[in-house]
Amino acid sequence: MQSNDELKLVLLIASIAMLMMAFFVIAFVMYYQKKRFEEEKRINDIEKNYNRLLLDTALNSEETERRRIAQDLHDDIGTMLSLTKLSLNQLSKLVTNSGDEKEESIMKKSQSLVEETILHVRRITRDLVPTTLERFGLMEAIEEFIHKLEEDNNLVIAFHSDTEEFPRQGQKLELTLYRIMQELVNNAIKHASCTKIDIVLEIDEEMIGLRVTDNGVGFDPEKIKESNLAGLGLLGIESRLAIVNGTVQYEQPAKGGSSAIARIPVNPASGNKPEPLHPFRRERVNI
Amino acid sequence: MLESYFSYIIRQPVISAPVFLNLLPILLIWRKRAYNDKLLLILFVYLLLKLGVDLVMFDLASHRKNNVVYYNVSIPIRYVLTSWMYYYEFDSKLHRRWVLASWPLFVAFSMWDAIHTNPLMSDIHNHNVVLYSATIESLLMLFWIMLYFYNTIRALKIPNLLSYPFFWICSGLLLYYSSFIFIAPVLHYAAKWDQWMDIGTLDYIPYVFESVSLILFSIGIAQYRDKSYAK
Ligand SMILES: Nc1ncnc2c1ncn2[C@@H]1O[C@H](COP(=O)(O)OP(=O)(O)O)[C@@H](O)[C@H]1O
Ligand SMILES: [Mg+2]
Repeated sequence: MQSNDELKLVLLIASIAMLMMAFFVIAFVMYYQKKRFEEEKRINDIEKNYNRLLLDTALNSEETERRRIAQDLHDDIGTMLSLTKLSLNQLSKLVTNSGDEKEESIMKKSQSLVEETILHVRRITRDLVPTTLERFGLMEAIEEFIHKLEEDNNLVIAFHSDTEEFPRQGQKLELTLYRIMQELVNNAIKHASCTKIDIVLEIDEEMIGLRVTDNGVGFDPEKIKESNLAGLGLLGIESRLAIVNGTVQYEQPAKGGSSAIARIPVNPASGNKPEPLHPFRRERVNI
Repeated sequence: MLESYFSYIIRQPVISAPVFLNLLPILLIWRKRAYNDKLLLILFVYLLLKLGVDLVMFDLASHRKNNVVYYNVSIPIRYVLTSWMYYYEFDSKLHRRWVLASWPLFVAFSMWDAIHTNPLMSDIHNHNVVLYSATIESLLMLFWIMLYFYNTIRALKIPNLLSYPFFWICSGLLLYYSSFIFIAPVLHYAAKWDQWMDIGTLDYIPYVFESVSLILFSIGIAQYRDKSYAK
């Protein structure tokens, strides 16, 4: 009987030890799994932030580069052209005095060419850096943009906003919205072969919505993304939005055409003044 | 007849409890239509079979007849069904093949074991509990369970274990087999019809953990979400 009791005790202890091990294993699996997931998530977050930073830097340097080119165009070419215009004016006086008909007409032609070039350079400069946007805000910038487009194309572009006075937003956010609007409208003109474009700007306490609708051929964004048709435009919109936590959604309205809605959380302009227009001054290199 | 059941339940509440607790996961699977999931279908069949065997054993036990033969027969079936779930859950082809290979080996072994422990097959009255099969079964199952846990923490595919039914089922099985593994070899000596060896409370441990595992199964099944619902 003695050995029987001992056997029982041994078995009991062994079973209890086994059970404790089982509990331990279950607890360990749960704990380890949870920890690994948290770690994974942290790494993901870091990676996401890093990517966002990269994108932000890339876009910032793109804007800086645009400014630099605009600046050079304005300062160098612009100045040269003004000087050229001045010299031509002087020359034209001489030519008029000499009284040669043919010389005079060539003179006139050169003068008007120079005038035109000056206008072009100014237009390109202003396209590169949306000065209106920085000075007067989104509404004015969009109005100016569509005004210019309507002149050159025979298109109807309508612009509505649900507020009279669109509150100024952070500089980056305004630029993002402006560039997205530009790309969407350009796409509609380039690809949709439409006759009418609608731009709607909405704002509430949390979100700004930008909707661009055309009545053209329409497209399926999923297909575009899958195939390698996706140009820089649509991708650029997405990466710009990723930086400001925005989203974009493409729709195909029943009556044809296509519609894109970008939504960005509001970020009112902070009190400090917008950055000076041309912060980038290139050191002159004399060769 | 009912009185004999009741008196048995009252005499052996711990042993009777899992028989009735079996109904809980079965009803849950039925109500949630969880049998649409292959894995839970196997569990469902396993639980039904277990309920059947348990009820027969219970009936015979309450009428004081030797019911061990059913128990012996149920061991290989039970092993095949439980390890089948692991066959589905393993991602690695190699591990699946191991599970498949274990079936004929184990069935053959348990048959040999039954014949070996009971030279006189016709003598049902003195039929003995198999000597090794239950232990081997526990060992194999513990191995599959540990292998599954190991794979799970390696692969990191399941974001929330607590809402994953098979994790609960696994935990239930782990507790049950851990409690059983040391008792199983003794049962052969303990549960002889004519010379009953009293191993006292020890005998109850597997029953208690059988109940615990059935409750864990039920919790797992409660986590089941119909995939067509989710869509
Ligand atoms: N408004 C639109 N209507 C029809 N098709 C469009 C429209 N916008 C974009 N697409 C299609 O999506 C493609 C990708 O556009 P995008 O990324 O802007 O690249 P890109 O303008 O450089 O071609 C276009 O080539 C065009 O086929
Ligand atoms: Mg484009």
